[in-house]
Order: sequence, then C-alpha cells, then structure tokens
Amino acid sequence: MNKPFLITKRLLGLGFIVLGGGAIVGMLALNLLGLTAHSGIGPTQQRAMLVAGLVIVIGVTLLPLGNCET
Amino acid sequence: MPFIKQDNESPLIWLPRLLLVLALLAFVGYFIVYAIYAFALFQFPFDYDQGEGFELMDTVLFSQGEWPYRSNDEYPFYSSNYPPLFHVVIVPLVWLFGPQYWTGRLVSYLGTLITAAAIGYAVQRYGRRWWLSLLCGLAFLASNYVYQVGPLFRQHMFMVMFETLAVVLLALTVDREEKEGIRLNGRFLIVMVLLLAAGYTKQLAYATVAAVFIFLFLRQPKRAVLWAVPFAAVTGLIYLWIDWATSGMWTLNTITANVNPIVPGQMEGLYRQWFRLHTVITVVAALYAFYQLYQERLSLFTVWFGLAVVNAATAGTWGAGASYFATAIAASCILTGLAFGRLLNWLERHQNDRYLPVAFYGRIWQLPKPAGPLLPIGAYSLVAILFLMQADRMFHMPTHTPTLERIAALLGKETAVYISPQTSCSATRPPERIPYVDSAGVSLLGRPPNAADTAAGKQIVALIAEGETAAFAEDAGFNFYLGRDIVTNPTQLLNLYYYGAVDLTEMLGMLDRQEFDTVVFRAQFYPPPVLEMIGQRYQTEHLVQMNGFVYCVMRPR
Repeated sequence: MNKPFLITKRLLGLGFIVLGGGAIVGMLALNLLGLTAHSGIGPTQQRAMLVAGLVIVIGVTLLPLGNCET
Repeated sequence: MPFIKQDNESPLIWLPRLLLVLALLAFVGYFIVYAIYAFALFQFPFDYDQGEGFELMDTVLFSQGEWPYRSNDEYPFYSSNYPPLFHVVIVPLVWLFGPQYWTGRLVSYLGTLITAAAIGYAVQRYGRRWWLSLLCGLAFLASNYVYQVGPLFRQHMFMVMFETLAVVLLALTVDREEKEGIRLNGRFLIVMVLLLAAGYTKQLAYATVAAVFIFLFLRQPKRAVLWAVPFAAVTGLIYLWIDWATSGMWTLNTITANVNPIVPGQMEGLYRQWFRLHTVITVVAALYAFYQLYQERLSLFTVWFGLAVVNAATAGTWGAGASYFATAIAASCILTGLAFGRLLNWLERHQNDRYLPVAFYGRIWQLPKPAGPLLPIGAYSLVAILFLMQADRMFHMPTHTPTLERIAALLGKETAVYISPQTSCSATRPPERIPYVDSAGVSLLGRPPNAADTAAGKQIVALIAEGETAAFAEDAGFNFYLGRDIVTNPTQLLNLYYYGAVDLTEMLGMLDRQEFDTVVFRAQFYPPPVLEMIGQRYQTEHLVQMNGFVYCVMRPR
C-alpha cells in the first residue's frame, strides 16, 4: 500500500526558501521594470527584503528536521 | 493549582493565587469598561464613527428587499462597498424597531462576546483551567482595538467572530478525527459555511480562509483540495449571482472601490503600535508558534496567527486601520492560553521528577529541577504577572465619572487628555479636556458619547429641518433622524473617483443649482470637484461640535 503524501519539515523549509527567494526576486524585478516610485531600492522594499531574508533563514533551519511531519 | 496544594506549608502558596485574582480583576475591570462604552453607544442616535450610518443604510435597503450595490452616478449617489451578511443579519431588528443605530452596534458587540467565548472555549478544551480560559477570552475584549471598534455599527468584528468560530471548530474537529480515526465531514461543512459567512461579511476574511486551507493541506493534502474546490465554486457562484443581480455594481463597489493606495508610514506605525499594546500575548504566541514549527506539528491556530499577522499589513492602506489586527489578536489570545496551559501541564507531569526533559530541534536536555513547590509557584506567578503586564500595556479607560477617574488616578494613569477638536472646514480650536485615556494614544474612538453630543446632533438635525430637502451630508445620521433620503457615501465616491469609475455630472449639476438646502461637512471626504462646487455655491453658516469633530452646516450662497 502506498504511503500517503505528507508535508514534512524539510518540504516546509524548502517552501519557505522558495517563498522568501521569490519575494526578493519579485521586488528586484519591480526595480528592473521601473515599477517603483524610487529609482533605487526604497525603504519599504528594504524592510520587505529583510523579512523575506528571515523567511529564507527559517526555511534553511527547517531542512535538518527532515521527515518530521508538519 | 492542584500540584501546589501538595505542599501547603509554604507561605508562598498564596502569592500566585493573589496575583491571579489581581489579573482576573484587571480583565474583568476592562470588561466593565467595555460594557459602559457599549451601552453609551447604544443610546447615541447619530454617527459616532464615520461610515456607521452607511452600514445602517445598507441594512435599510436590504430590509426593503433592495441591493445596496448601485450606481453612484444618479441621485441619491449612494452605494455600499461591503459584502451583505452583517447587514442582512440586522434586517429583522430594523423591521421591528426601524433604522436605529443601536441595532448594528448591539449585533457587533454581541459578536465580540461570542468571539471571546470561542477563544475561552478553545483554551479550556486544551488547557482545562477555567481562570486561564477566562483571562484569554477577556484579554481579547480588553484589546484597545477591540474595545474601540467592537460596539460600533461596523461589520469588521462580526467577520472576526465567524473567523474565530470556524478556526476553533476546525481545530477541535481535526484533533478529534486524528484521535479517534474517524471523519467528521458534517463538521467540516459547518466550518466551510462559517468561512463563507466571514468572507461575505467582509472581504478581509480571505486570509483566514487561506490559513484554513494551508493547514488542511499540511495535514491532509488530498482532502484539502477536495474541500477547496466546492468551497471556491460556491463562493464564486454567490459572487456571480450578486454581480448579475446588481448589473455589475457589486464588483465595481466592493472590489474596484476597495483597492486603496498604501499610505506611507501608516503600516509601519500600526505594526509598532499593535506590538507595543499587545506585547505579552504577541511574544508568547510567537514563541509558541516557533516551538511548534521546530518541535511538533503546526496547529491551525499557529498557521492562522502567522497569516493574520502578515495580512494585518493591509491596515496600511487608505481607509483601513488598527482594527485589521483584530484577527491576529484573537489568534494570539488562543495561542497564549495554549502555551501557558502546556507549560503548566508539563510542570505538573514532572512534579515528582528530579529532572525536567526539554526537547527542541531534535534534541532532549535534562534540566535539574528545584525540589519543593518553588517551581510551580513561580510558574503560576509568572503567568499571572505576564497577564498583569499585558493589562497594563493595553490600558484604556473612560474617566467621565468620579469613580472611574479615581481608579485611573489610583493606577497611576492620566485622568484625561487634551485634544483639539477635529476641523476640516473651519478654523482650528484650542485643545479641550477629553475624559478618556488610552495607551494607544490620542483617539477619538473610545470616549463614551454623552448628552452634549446627542444635543449637538439634534442641533444639526434642527438646522437641516429648516430646509425641505435631504441634506448633502457626510454622515447619514441626520437624514435618518428626519426620515429623509440618505444622499451620498463620500469615501466610496472618492475611491471611485480616483479609479475614474464615477460620473459626477448629475451630482455637480444639483449642487450647482443649489438643489440641496443644506450641506454638512465633517471631514471633507468628497472628491475634489464636489468640494470645489460646494465651495462655490454654498457657505458655512453654523459650526456644531459633536464627538470631537466640528461639523460645518452650509447653506446656499
């Protein structure tokens, strides 16, 4: 019998890394496409990127927990 | 405190009891203050918060079998930007008692009491300590934001009620399913109905819907999808039906007019304020959430808390405010109760052991445990002290009676604040003594309205009654009082104006021809061309102060 699909801590960690990384890429893309009010990275963007970085860190620290269920 | 009783020789045993009694007194005190404010609002027959009257108007339209989603281009230039459920629930009260402000205020207030009861029930089911459950439920009602908005004719707290009921019911259902190895699909169905109700009370509930389905996906991915598909279908079909029935006005008014710009600094300021006011319950909830993230399975409450905190960022948009944190506050109250319950249970379980096992990040540490009752006494005392600290952080109290003023002074708090009345259409006025103190800062919400406010409202009504037409007014209350048409929903018009989705031709023509005998301003929320036309064709003749706002009563030039 097949084991049911479960979301593990590792998978959740990967999800956090993708989410945080995607957010940073998205925010940089906003600048590249000239869709922001500032020419550089604005203060709100900086804070948002810091939060996204923290999400990535949390994701990385979840990876060693391996197959524990979420 | 069963495991402290075993050593009742220690005189310290009375310390946690005394502290817990003090904590309970503090939060029962907040509840009394909340009731005082609510009952004062029930008796006040005009708008206290801008927009209350328009929610009453929505209810009146529903009571007449009409949709409030209509064209803003034609007289009376009125439309609603909120989903219908809150107003539909109040319809029977309007049938019975007429268009009264107390109807919606009462329903919203009762909604907050139900939310608090649901929070207490969830904590009780997991923690089995009545005092802890009571403290968590009352802590929700003691939040400055819940206090200020709870008894208003606003749908926000009614949405939080549905959200909390859905989350608590689902958490308990999944726990029971996993414990007993059964499927309780009937209860799942009720959860979906509650979520639907939350979403059709206010759009902001989407974050709680997302939290529920993310949690379900983490636990039971296939079942999550199986429930998500019909839920989305029913939500979408209701949406399409209302849009069809209102010829597209539903989408225009509830979606287009609700996508508001971010106000720079507002989001950050509100996050800071929320954390400052709710430090203890937020930190405890966050610590417990991190513990679950690394050490055990994530509970629904943790996922809900996380998404609610993130979604509170929408409080930074124009027209939004601190009440957008109410969902996060409800979640943090539950998590705080669960965390403290777990801590006390853990100590109780190991009361006879020499070591306390601490498991985290895949490791287990054995910490030496002090003998005797010191540890449990310390733990219970700590819980009580933390609740007392939380109570102090969120201090707010009307001080309009000598008793309340004395209590505030005894607690070492200010007994009044000095605020200049809000003016938008008249000269600034010197600060006045306001008998209400709030650690959130200066606020026009929270002070119970008094007889002078009612008299001021009636004065404006009398001025409008000198003319024959409905007033072109930013508050609906005055026209309601006279039984005249409710004309315009100013913030809605402003939003639609910015999106180029309203034609002001007819309205400007009527103002130009001075077809309204009276114009009443409170904050000048109307679109710029409307303000310009009023400035050209009307002049201020009377200034009346109500609820800390100076209203300008204008007549044709």
